[in-house]
Amino acid sequence: MYGGGNSFEAMKATALTDEDPIKLAEFEARIDRGEKIEPSDWMPQLYRKQLTRMIEQHAHSEIIGALPEGTWITRAPGFKRKLALMAKVQDEVGHAQLLYSAAETLGKPREEMITDLINGKSKYSNIFNYPAFTWADSCFISWLVDAGAIVNQIANSKGSYGPYCRALERICAEESFHLKYGHHCVIHLATGTKVQREMMQEAFNRWWTPMMHFFGPSDKISVHSEILMRWKVKMSSNDECRQQFLDMYVPKIWELGLTLPDENLRKDPETGEWQFTEPDWEEFKRVINGDGPCNKERLAVRRVAEERGAWVRQALLAPKAKYVAPLA
Amino acid sequence: MKLKSLDPRVTRLGISESTDQEIIEKNELDQFETYEAFIETKEGKPFEHAGSIHAPNEEMAFLFAKEQYSRRGMFCNALCVVKTENIKVSDYTDNGIDVYNLVSAIPSGIERDSFEIFHLAKRGKHHKYEGSVMAKDFEDALAKAKVDFQSEKPVFNIWIVKSEHILASDQDDRDIWDTLKEKKYRDAIDYKAGDKIKAFKEQQA
Repeated sequence: MYGGGNSFEAMKATALTDEDPIKLAEFEARIDRGEKIEPSDWMPQLYRKQLTRMIEQHAHSEIIGALPEGTWITRAPGFKRKLALMAKVQDEVGHAQLLYSAAETLGKPREEMITDLINGKSKYSNIFNYPAFTWADSCFISWLVDAGAIVNQIANSKGSYGPYCRALERICAEESFHLKYGHHCVIHLATGTKVQREMMQEAFNRWWTPMMHFFGPSDKISVHSEILMRWKVKMSSNDECRQQFLDMYVPKIWELGLTLPDENLRKDPETGEWQFTEPDWEEFKRVINGDGPCNKERLAVRRVAEERGAWVRQALLAPKAKYVAPLA
Repeated sequence: MKLKSLDPRVTRLGISESTDQEIIEKNELDQFETYEAFIETKEGKPFEHAGSIHAPNEEMAFLFAKEQYSRRGMFCNALCVVKTENIKVSDYTDNGIDVYNLVSAIPSGIERDSFEIFHLAKRGKHHKYEGSVMAKDFEDALAKAKVDFQSEKPVFNIWIVKSEHILASDQDDRDIWDTLKEKKYRDAIDYKAGDKIKAFKEQQA
């Protein structure tokens, strides 16, 4: 899973004028031909920086996203759900490993990325700063947060950076199980007893705003985003992803007799666009900047794991070891 | 104040709620060295690069690679790992230029070591195993690979590894992938629910 709506750093006007124009032209020609960029190729600083940031945020989201779901493994109803959720959480942590490796090929060692996560310097998907109160919340995450992630990931897998594309191909293949599993769980509750239906509905009421936030605020078309699109770093706008998500999943939610807490949500028959009430973007900003219900807990849990595992890593470290970035 | 969580196990960790914590700086190599994993998806298919792992030694790299790249056992027939620093990487080319055309060394008559050759046939795809050569050193191995493996299809990058640096699964150990007989719960196909939705809709109508 993964939180979309990447926040890209503001770009200085001089960012490209410092680059070698011949190399830049070769780089852009390669992308225009549809060829992938590989780690040892020349690339503009801006490309390296933004991709590192994007892949790193994605990796952190996999790790942090495993926390609210992981706490439900022992309480999942029945053996089969426990097995499935355990497999899913294992997948998510594995995805983080794949993504950290892809980011490392751009030159930032894994240690630095984890340091930045624990110290609150890096972002991760904002939706995981919300709590999973009930089993139905866990089902919502498995189905719809993963569904949103897939919309993003499929777009990104057509990007220009080879290692990220390869990691995403592997990830997307595994996500199909998550999506089907999550849908299965939601169907079970939504078509179940009155208590089950209510529990599921309450989860939808709780999660809809964070889900609308998931893809990030509308992106303004700027010189910056135009360059990132031309370089196939950013593959579709936040609004395009949100629209695609709504189009694919709202009908599937409604057919289960569930409602969504937005009276204005409807598909415009003329434009084919979904209309909705803008979610509270002030809340989004507040939570992503640290003041959400679970920000502290997520980082604290990650920090404790880090501290308590340190002695194992220290004991295993070979004295002659030296660091080499992954190759591809 | 201690952190209170919805998850009682998190509460029991007794973590301080304060955000005013000492900054953790991970040391270099805290996440260990890097290894590259290659997988043979089916018998007779060439080994293909699967991805990287971090591990403190070769054996653990093998175990981590097995978990990371082959836990859905049906797509794995054999697995091998190589420490990344032991892989020699050629130049990269693009736009139809064969990287072998940049190789000008003359093959030597010396066959000191065995080297394994991996090709990148398309940018964005994985490196695939091509074959092995006996050579004096990496440069010589590349020259010999050019003689043995250059074809009409261009290659955009080559990895060369000394055979002795590879840790591979043994054919006799194939049962390491036979874990649970029933692993369908890991596959999308096990979660069909169309009938349930249909029945629900009929009941609502």
